[in-house]
Amino acid sequence: MRRAAWMLAAALGLAVPASRAIDFGSILNKAIDTGKQLHDANREFTTEEEVALGEGLASGFLGAAPLAKDANLQRYVNRVGKWLALHSDRPDLPWTFGVVETDTVNAFAMPGGTVLITRGLVKRLSSEAELAGALSHEIAHVVLKHQLKAIQSDKNSEAFASLGKGLAGEAIARRGSDPVGLKSWGANAGVELLKNGVFLRPLDRSMEYEADKLGVVIAARSGYDPYGLVGVLEMLAQVKSDGSGLSVLDTHPAPADRLAELEGFVPDVEKRVREPQALEARFRKTVGAQ
Amino acid sequence: MAAMRFPLLAASIVAILLPWAARADEQGFTNRATELKERGAADAATVASLPENTPVKVLARGGGWTRVEAGGKSGWVRVFHLRFPSSVESGASSSGASGLGALGSALGFGGTKTTEARLASTGIRGLSTEDVKNASPDPEELKRMQSYRADRGAAERFAREAKLAEARIPAPGEPGKGESR
Repeated sequence: MRRAAWMLAAALGLAVPASRAIDFGSILNKAIDTGKQLHDANREFTTEEEVALGEGLASGFLGAAPLAKDANLQRYVNRVGKWLALHSDRPDLPWTFGVVETDTVNAFAMPGGTVLITRGLVKRLSSEAELAGALSHEIAHVVLKHQLKAIQSDKNSEAFASLGKGLAGEAIARRGSDPVGLKSWGANAGVELLKNGVFLRPLDRSMEYEADKLGVVIAARSGYDPYGLVGVLEMLAQVKSDGSGLSVLDTHPAPADRLAELEGFVPDVEKRVREPQALEARFRKTVGAQ
Repeated sequence: MAAMRFPLLAASIVAILLPWAARADEQGFTNRATELKERGAADAATVASLPENTPVKVLARGGGWTRVEAGGKSGWVRVFHLRFPSSVESGASSSGASGLGALGSALGFGGTKTTEARLASTGIRGLSTEDVKNASPDPEELKRMQSYRADRGAAERFAREAKLAEARIPAPGEPGKGESR
């Protein structure tokens, strides 16, 4: 920690002439404080930092895969997602859902409430309950702050240290409505976490199982068939790894293992729901026939 | 669920309201010895006893039961008593196109090989880490995405249209909180 703070100070010293440092003294101090605190694995991110970081990450992802050009689909996924999120412990985050145009099958949760789901995954789903199953798993990751925990974990500490530098550096360059440069920091940090691969590392298996269970609960609280995620996992189980060693099937718990984890759990959730729905027709109307 | 409190209604609820269609040609196997039931309920009549590894064709899903055809008979099997071996090439879309390759080239992702893990959380096959590492951020696209956000009111109207019934369910590991009404 101390070393990281020293590195931060050194970086600032090199980057900022003394006169400018005086001009921006208070802003800079605040930024340095924030930068220092970001090195502290025990410190919680503020919601604002979390959102800014998530937006930075999302912007990077969207640079690799743009949004599907289907406004109805985007609005539909946002309504399902927001309704689900309202049944989580963090209903007031700026929840944002996007379908990205790629045939790959995937979904990604960013800190702060941004969730991306690929067209490839959406079109393999069979009902709104399955969509809810996939989205609520991602919402659970956000609610449980799994990505933040991974970013702050020991093995990522080097990369994490660079985030503080980013924030302080941006503060020097910016004034006005965003004096601490949080948005710019988020953008830079997001890019950094994508470039250095930290955000791309798989989460712990235990986190995936935890998100599966909380996801089932969120979907069921929202009125969906709690077996929606089970349907998604059965679909995933049928997809073959491409043998490149790059498939999520190689880096995540196997769908069969995730199903086994859910076997003792979903029936208990099922007992508590009232008239759960699959909403296949509404899903097909928006997403189109497969 | 309602079906458990009102056994007489179980058949109609399970058979009419819940099931959604199987994907085309879904082939599974029993993962243990189990029973093929006349309807999706534990107290339903048994159509046949199925040994472990019995091949089944999936016809429909609904709640905790899957409607299948096995040995010329159809009925319902508990969802967790089935397994699904991988059979679909991960690059191929359900429409049969070899989507990843074609789309990959279109987006400039084609041909990238990396030894790093592909990223994902629920997915099967993501973009390669290199694709994402090398991407330029697109703040305009971010803004566009945020323009599609639903507010609380829109989400609630959307749920009412479909008569989605909220339920109070505790989070995992919190048995006391949010007890069912």
